[in-house]
Amino acid sequence: MRSSRVLVRKHLLQHWVRSGLTVAAITLAMFLLCSVISIVTTLDRAVNSEATQRLVVQSAVSLFVNLPLGYQEKIVAVPGVEDVTVFQWFGGYFKEDEQPFAQFAVDHENFLHMYAKDMRVAEGPRGVTGDSALEAVQAAMNADRRAAIIGPDLARENNWKVGDTVPIIAKIFTKQDRSAWEFDIVGIYEPLKSNFDPRQMFFRFDYLRETLEAEGMVDDMGTGVYMVNLEATADPGLVSQAIDGLFENGPQRTKTATEAVFQSFFIAMLGNVPAFMGAIGGAIVFAVLFSVVNTMLMAGRQRRGEAGILKALGFSNACVARLLLYESLVLCLTGGALGIGIAALFEEPVRWAVGGALPGYTVEPSTLLLAVGVTLVVGVVAGIGPALGLGRLQPADALRSEA
Amino acid sequence: MNAMIEMQGVSKRYSRGNETLTVLDSLDFQVDAGDFVALMGPSGSGKSTILNIAGGLDRPDSGRVSVAGSDLGAMSSSALAPWRSMHIGFVFQSFNLMPVLTALENVMLPLLLTPLRSSERKKQAEFALDVVGLSDRMTHRPKQLSGGQEQRVAIARAIATDPDLILADEPTGDLDRESATSVMELLQRLNKEMGKTLVVVTHDPMVGELAQRTAHLDKGLLVDVTGEGP
Repeated sequence: MRSSRVLVRKHLLQHWVRSGLTVAAITLAMFLLCSVISIVTTLDRAVNSEATQRLVVQSAVSLFVNLPLGYQEKIVAVPGVEDVTVFQWFGGYFKEDEQPFAQFAVDHENFLHMYAKDMRVAEGPRGVTGDSALEAVQAAMNADRRAAIIGPDLARENNWKVGDTVPIIAKIFTKQDRSAWEFDIVGIYEPLKSNFDPRQMFFRFDYLRETLEAEGMVDDMGTGVYMVNLEATADPGLVSQAIDGLFENGPQRTKTATEAVFQSFFIAMLGNVPAFMGAIGGAIVFAVLFSVVNTMLMAGRQRRGEAGILKALGFSNACVARLLLYESLVLCLTGGALGIGIAALFEEPVRWAVGGALPGYTVEPSTLLLAVGVTLVVGVVAGIGPALGLGRLQPADALRSEA
Repeated sequence: MNAMIEMQGVSKRYSRGNETLTVLDSLDFQVDAGDFVALMGPSGSGKSTILNIAGGLDRPDSGRVSVAGSDLGAMSSSALAPWRSMHIGFVFQSFNLMPVLTALENVMLPLLLTPLRSSERKKQAEFALDVVGLSDRMTHRPKQLSGGQEQRVAIARAIATDPDLILADEPTGDLDRESATSVMELLQRLNKEMGKTLVVVTHDPMVGELAQRTAHLDKGLLVDVTGEGP
């Protein structure tokens, strides 16, 4: 209706502090809701996009119990297995412990080829890029025991370049003289999957093992997990059973699962994240709903006299009710649009802020649509009660309340 | 002369707790077209209730009400709303202007329900404000106007849709003597020059003197009618 726009706008501006605070509450709530949903969808996507043709072999006891290095040879021999690499968490930091990033010791001879679908070598030594970068980095890793390849975000954050030697302070594998481990950066990779963390560092496992052995710090070096690439036609379930069967009698029993399942186990270690996030999201929606309901109830009480005037002038009950409902919708949609817009615009900064904790953080269009839906529902639910109350009010009663 | 308002056997009761209050008791009342009638009587005698029932803002418990040729008892609430916008102009004691709107926007408000174009609505509202002598106050908000000016804006809003009947509930009640006189002169002019039927609820003897007829009510009964019709 033509009059609605003017009246709704003027009413909202008349109580601009109340309107502004309500819009701010909705903005914050919708931003948080989008963020919470995005965390869940990002985790979900991370699980679903993991390679099903890659297995993770870990100790059946715990992820923190190492597997013997001798297992690698036996795993490679299992039918359906294409390639295997050790995968050892290093757990160090550069300068500040507050900016953690993942470092893994891997088999340098086959790691780059095994992960060719997850990442692309973007830059190698002496500025080599393009197709020849992979070969150049492989050659550099073969030649240099301290060679390491890093992700683009890690390089950008620390201003590291190919050719730099970087000191990493170990928290697990501390040297006897407590000096830092030095790594020579020989390449920078680009993730090919959104959930492949661009803030990782991969280096030679033999550098780790030989250094620790030379210092007499380990008697029997092992690896945290083995990453196993399968042949295209191999059945992951059968191969997993075959691997676990090999080590049924020890010395360490294994638990083998696809990378996707492993990822979901890993996330489950944090607790039931979707349920937890769902509870937070629900609480946010209800909190903002109560806030808007309160605002609209106040507005409804203040409009009783005005409803009487409008009805006396000939405005219908439905028209008077619609005015308040529109007001509720305008408040919610304004706040919702701002919150949803901020969530979309701040996707990149949030991704950077959460870093390796949640690689590939993305605000999906479906999340934004859901938030729009929630905003509309909150607007209607908050406004419908007070609006119907005004609509049903007898004109004479409403005018008496004005007097 | 055609009857603008015809009330026959109209009763209205209100319940307050266990007590039932009879506000109108089988009232017969008629106002002819072009008439200027003052309704007087003590508080609670049923004056404002007559106005509300005649304007379709309230319904009687029993009796028949016909206004401007329409049987209000036969009309639904949704039919009464557009009927009011076409036939009735209300003027209230406390002006009842929208504080968020300017004088011009307040006068344009009832015109929003008409099929007029925006420019025509504005022109008609400006004309109504000109009639009440407030051409120079169009962009003022109610709080920027004096009480007399606010009531004149309310009168301009009441006549904006060119209704047949103006119902005024103590239009001078909140005004000083000078403003009250000015407002009543304006209402009288609307009655005489524009032929509007005017029913005014009042306690003010001056209003009674200006009216063509004065109806006195007490305890819901019409006790006396003085003066002659148009």
